[in-house]
Amino acid sequence: MTDRATTTTRTPLMSVRGLTKDFRTGGLFSRDRHRALNAVDLDIPHGRIVALVGESGSGKSTLARCLARLEQPTSGQLLLDGRDVLRTQRRGASRAYRGTVQMVFQDPFGSLNPVHRVEHFLRRALLVHGRPAGEDELRELIATVGLSEDMLQSYPHELSGGQRQRVAIARALAVDPRLVLADEPTSMLDVSVRIGILNLMRRLRDEHGISMLYITHDLASARYVADTTQVLFAGELVEGGDSLALMDRPAHPYTRLLLSAVPDPERESGYDPVERAALRAAVLTPESCPYEDEGTCSRTEPVRHVIGEDEGQPHWVRCHLYAPATPTARRVLTAATPEAENA
Amino acid sequence: MTTPSQSPVPARTPAPARVPVLDVRNLRVEYGGDGRAVVGADDVSFTIGAGEVFGLAGESGCGKSTVANALMRLLKPPARITAGTVTFKGCDVLAMDPRELRAFRWREIAMVFQSAMNSLNPVLTIGEQIGDIFTTHERMRKRQARARSGELLELVGIDPARLKSYPHQLSGGMRQRVVIAMAVALKPALLIMDEPTTALDVVVQQEIMAQIGDLQRELGFSVLFITHDMSLMVELSHRMGVMYGGRLVELAPAKELFADPLHPYTQALMNAFPPLTGPRVHLTGLADLPRTGTSCGFHAHCPDDRSDCSMNIPDLREVAAGRFVARTSGGAR
Repeated sequence: MTDRATTTTRTPLMSVRGLTKDFRTGGLFSRDRHRALNAVDLDIPHGRIVALVGESGSGKSTLARCLARLEQPTSGQLLLDGRDVLRTQRRGASRAYRGTVQMVFQDPFGSLNPVHRVEHFLRRALLVHGRPAGEDELRELIATVGLSEDMLQSYPHELSGGQRQRVAIARALAVDPRLVLADEPTSMLDVSVRIGILNLMRRLRDEHGISMLYITHDLASARYVADTTQVLFAGELVEGGDSLALMDRPAHPYTRLLLSAVPDPERESGYDPVERAALRAAVLTPESCPYEDEGTCSRTEPVRHVIGEDEGQPHWVRCHLYAPATPTARRVLTAATPEAENA
Repeated sequence: MTTPSQSPVPARTPAPARVPVLDVRNLRVEYGGDGRAVVGADDVSFTIGAGEVFGLAGESGCGKSTVANALMRLLKPPARITAGTVTFKGCDVLAMDPRELRAFRWREIAMVFQSAMNSLNPVLTIGEQIGDIFTTHERMRKRQARARSGELLELVGIDPARLKSYPHQLSGGMRQRVVIAMAVALKPALLIMDEPTTALDVVVQQEIMAQIGDLQRELGFSVLFITHDMSLMVELSHRMGVMYGGRLVELAPAKELFADPLHPYTQALMNAFPPLTGPRVHLTGLADLPRTGTSCGFHAHCPDDRSDCSMNIPDLREVAAGRFVARTSGGAR
């Protein structure tokens, strides 16, 4: 508990400030831009798992690719230990950066070269980063992710999906990273092995102190594995906070929509279809916020409002409904029952 | 390309309430080759009533899709149906000749395949692909087929103007809706859905499932719903079966099965999904053990007393009205 308290006061391992990414759409000379990420602010503290949830197309993967320096952000800052790597390493990531930040991709079937043995992937990673690559190191590495030593001699096609994803994680761990970006690492895997990968992520955090950004659209798994959860909607972070608190008391309409969509037979009272439809409409066309008529919503860009604190984590939301504690806002959001503090 | 002049399947009359639409008995499918046989499905028996949604749950490789393909007679060598019967509205599906099959498929049983949104032809418009169903099966004229296609799209909530679109111009959710519209085009009596929403995100999944529920109520077809997502299945289906290693290990009304799973494998499968409410508990998931000739592959994780266990999956026994579980008589709880 004390450890957690101190980690929050330290400089976060990675801070993202005002990250914006535009993609050019249309032809070669087109000036059309699509804004995939808009002014994203995000902290990834030491030894914590941060979940990033949102629908397809919300920009989750783009954010991870920007953090991994696979995409060049249009503007913004990427602070690793307080230093802006976008400024110091303009042309691309240095090897030191890659040694600190590693990425695990969604598809373990596509991310391992089929003509090499498992041993090769791990040894390459060690050699490229100038580390000893002896048998002992390989054995230790493969044991860390819960595979047996004889699998070092296997080819990817001889492994199951879950085992391949473990190899991909082992390869990321080879360089002893401090931050692992996991882009939907379980969505291509079978149910029976998903929990195993999630437990591995938890173990890596607890035993090795590795920070992670866990990208997913599976809210239940985010709740299971992540300390804090951030909700990304149309390229903007709209809500964030302690995972349990956020999913027990979702504040932003979009978060509530996401949660209402998760099948859960134990939930006694399902979401009202009328409310769902209103939320969906609000999400699809940002101009038609269902609460706008109530006079609580102005169309200006919302700012973050802190609505609570759990486990030392502020629970914030970007929605005008939470700005002033108006009677209307209280009435509309009775289900969420926020402690409407004036931020 | 010859189309049968007459449908060999009897005209669709409302089945008597008690007679199930589909009756599968002791179905066994083997995958042969290399001198050894792998059993894909073993002694699978279940029925689906008119207008009923029946779920089939289990992890990859448990035989769910094998069963679905067997019902449609879509299995290709080395897969062979070696035992059992499939009766659909009184007709023996396994005895049909190719001509009969051609008339039977899609008109009587339609299927939404796994990753269905990638099953659309990328070089044909949506309209051409839906229209194909009507021109082939109903011998409609092009113009008429186009009008019907438009109605179908409206049924699943897509603007008929989209008939001119190519699949890549639609989102994943829309493509999935198109595929579902195609499946219900001929008003089949049974719709098989093999993991219809696996590739979609939660919000779209919820919308598609709600849509299927609406369609089902409107058109009254039965559904065989295959997924590994237990929560989704419990919400949607009336009765469900859990498969493991090619065998059904539990068969029960969905709500009862969810409230009180009897087979240890069912419990383990439900435990593989983290909950959305309550405190954070540590889950163990499922073992990665294959089923072999001498072991059910699950014994290492079976919480029961295994002294009387033959290490094989026993036959289903009825333990309560409508509830079947694969247990030896000793393993009562």
